[in-house]
Amino acid sequence: MNLPLPAIIQYKDLLAAWTRRTIRGRYQQSLLGWLWAIVQPVASVAIFSLIFTTFVPVDTGEIPYPVFSYIAMVPWTFFASSIQDMTISLTLNFGLVTKVYFPREVLPISAMLARLLDFGVASLVLALMMLFYRVEVNPELVLFLPLVLLAQAVLITGLGLITSAANVFYRDMQPLLILLLQVWFYASPIIYPVSLVPEQWRVFYYLNPMAGILEAYRSVLLYQQVPDHTFLIAAGEAMVVFVFGYWLFKRVEFQFADII
Amino acid sequence: MAEVVSFLNVSKKYHLGMTRTSLPVLLSRWIKTVMRRSNQEFGHTGDFWALQDVSFSLREGESLALVGENGAGKTTILKLLAKITKPTMGTIRANGTLSALIELGAGFHPDLSGRENIYLNGTILGLKRQEIEQRFDQIVDFAELEKFIDTPVKRYSSGMAVRLGFAVAASIDPDILLVDEVLAVGDSAFRLKCMNRIQELIENGTTLIFVSHNMGLVKAVCEKAIYIEKGTIKQFGETGDVVDAYNHALDQRRIHAHDHVRGGVTNQKGVCEISRVTIIGKGLDQDPLMPSRAALIGIEYHAFRDVGEIAIVLRIIRSDGLPCAALYSQKDQASLLIEKGDGRIEVTLSPLQLFPGTYYVVVTIKDKDQWVVHDMAYSDWFQVQSGWPGENDLDAVFEPNRRWECKRRDQENPDTLIAPGAMG
Repeated sequence: MNLPLPAIIQYKDLLAAWTRRTIRGRYQQSLLGWLWAIVQPVASVAIFSLIFTTFVPVDTGEIPYPVFSYIAMVPWTFFASSIQDMTISLTLNFGLVTKVYFPREVLPISAMLARLLDFGVASLVLALMMLFYRVEVNPELVLFLPLVLLAQAVLITGLGLITSAANVFYRDMQPLLILLLQVWFYASPIIYPVSLVPEQWRVFYYLNPMAGILEAYRSVLLYQQVPDHTFLIAAGEAMVVFVFGYWLFKRVEFQFADII
Repeated sequence: MAEVVSFLNVSKKYHLGMTRTSLPVLLSRWIKTVMRRSNQEFGHTGDFWALQDVSFSLREGESLALVGENGAGKTTILKLLAKITKPTMGTIRANGTLSALIELGAGFHPDLSGRENIYLNGTILGLKRQEIEQRFDQIVDFAELEKFIDTPVKRYSSGMAVRLGFAVAASIDPDILLVDEVLAVGDSAFRLKCMNRIQELIENGTTLIFVSHNMGLVKAVCEKAIYIEKGTIKQFGETGDVVDAYNHALDQRRIHAHDHVRGGVTNQKGVCEISRVTIIGKGLDQDPLMPSRAALIGIEYHAFRDVGEIAIVLRIIRSDGLPCAALYSQKDQASLLIEKGDGRIEVTLSPLQLFPGTYYVVVTIKDKDQWVVHDMAYSDWFQVQSGWPGENDLDAVFEPNRRWECKRRDQENPDTLIAPGAMG
């Protein structure tokens, strides 16, 4: 792969420092601090659990609904909050962009890395939940998890590079994204199982890379299965988005300081 | 010595106004255009050339100042060199590591401690974590913040934050250093420290490009200078010459601006009016004005009735706005009586004792006892000329009366000083 990666590698210390700054800044002078990383997915799952077990029961097989939806809610929250943070990362720090030179991708990428911490914290709750509901886990399959997470991170990076660059040119990106993520949320298997999606639509349904990725988390941790071809599709799409996103970002990067 | 920095026919264009036009604005503009059937170009916004055809080059260890008015394009040159932005046309070459002090403390987070911000700011300026660790003590020492290094930066005074920012920047050892007016902040002792550090870097072979409005600083630091006006190079050469040219241009502009203002001053009650304020050299040839010669200021007035005893406040102001002298007639116990009709009050300055430069006089006529201003007026601009070739290089205002003496200590009696050659 012949990508302009050296720039970001040369600035890896900045990436680390800026990620630290983002995390420290986010939870400074806040009472709950990093506990906020748990509150959001737990609250959503609590609401959806109430709706989909009591009002409109949804069949999730042997898996208790809270575990079923929380296992997808955590990576989804990572996905959505990362992309939102990445989108505004350049415009938020315009003072830096116009006054100092450094590879601009440092800002969006560290925005994602900062959300990775939240992901880790929220995952601890998942572990507790699985213990509580006595969900059995195949330790060998757990080794797939880093791969799934990597595919997701690659997808997020690619998308976030595109949206952050676009937001420099048009601030419409922010409200548009909120709308888009809302639709995307319901188009992904988070609060309902894929089995509810009509058979003939599945082919198109899995064109959504988040569908393949979320199902991969479930198959590894809940269904005791190796991720299937839908994950490969998602990983392939993630790579394409990443390469395109990086290329696009590097192409327009030099205009940021003039336009922002 | 190798060429380190070169600009070849560099131009930079910016778009004026809003960078992007929103759909509703475009729509309403389109509707207006259709309604009026005007031929105004649709969706057109103007362009602005921040730099036009700029070429220069610098060798290792050279120091260059960029002087010019705000918006002339000085910072654009720095931003192009720092790769923050790209030129619209032309080629820029910079060989070696480059560090740009366009903003001090870039990326500082107020909630983080001084220590954490050193790492943050250092990595933003391109240092590796390890490099910062090596310089950490030196940075803290330079900033004089040992006691507060673990305090959040938001608790710092602005001076402390600036010191920390400069200390990080100063720890960098670049081949090319860009400095943009950052030294305008901070107290004078710290500023001196910063200047010394910059001098040290130059002596070690760093190529410096320096932007400042402080001409004294520019002359002290830089060998060469570029005077930029409206995006083009007006003059490139030795700092002294370029700064003189720039100062002269500034003087001309101020004189021009001033001429428009002057007509507006009128007296309050119509008791008396200053019709003219003049200043001439006094002596055989009455001209020109020189520091060591006497000068005569004349205040011509017209009084509509008997005014009685008045007081005069007279100020001499240099073209850059610096008040250089103030005279108050009451302090000198001058008895000035104005009667109905025309008259003239004269003040002799013997000698003038002003350094060469461009000045003007402001005169206020007041009532002697009450603080009533009868009138106020300005003289024309006047030039004090140099009687000695080297004098223009000295940046000063006042030339005291003086006497030079040279003495030596008596060998037999060390407490007494005697003139050289005299017997002890």
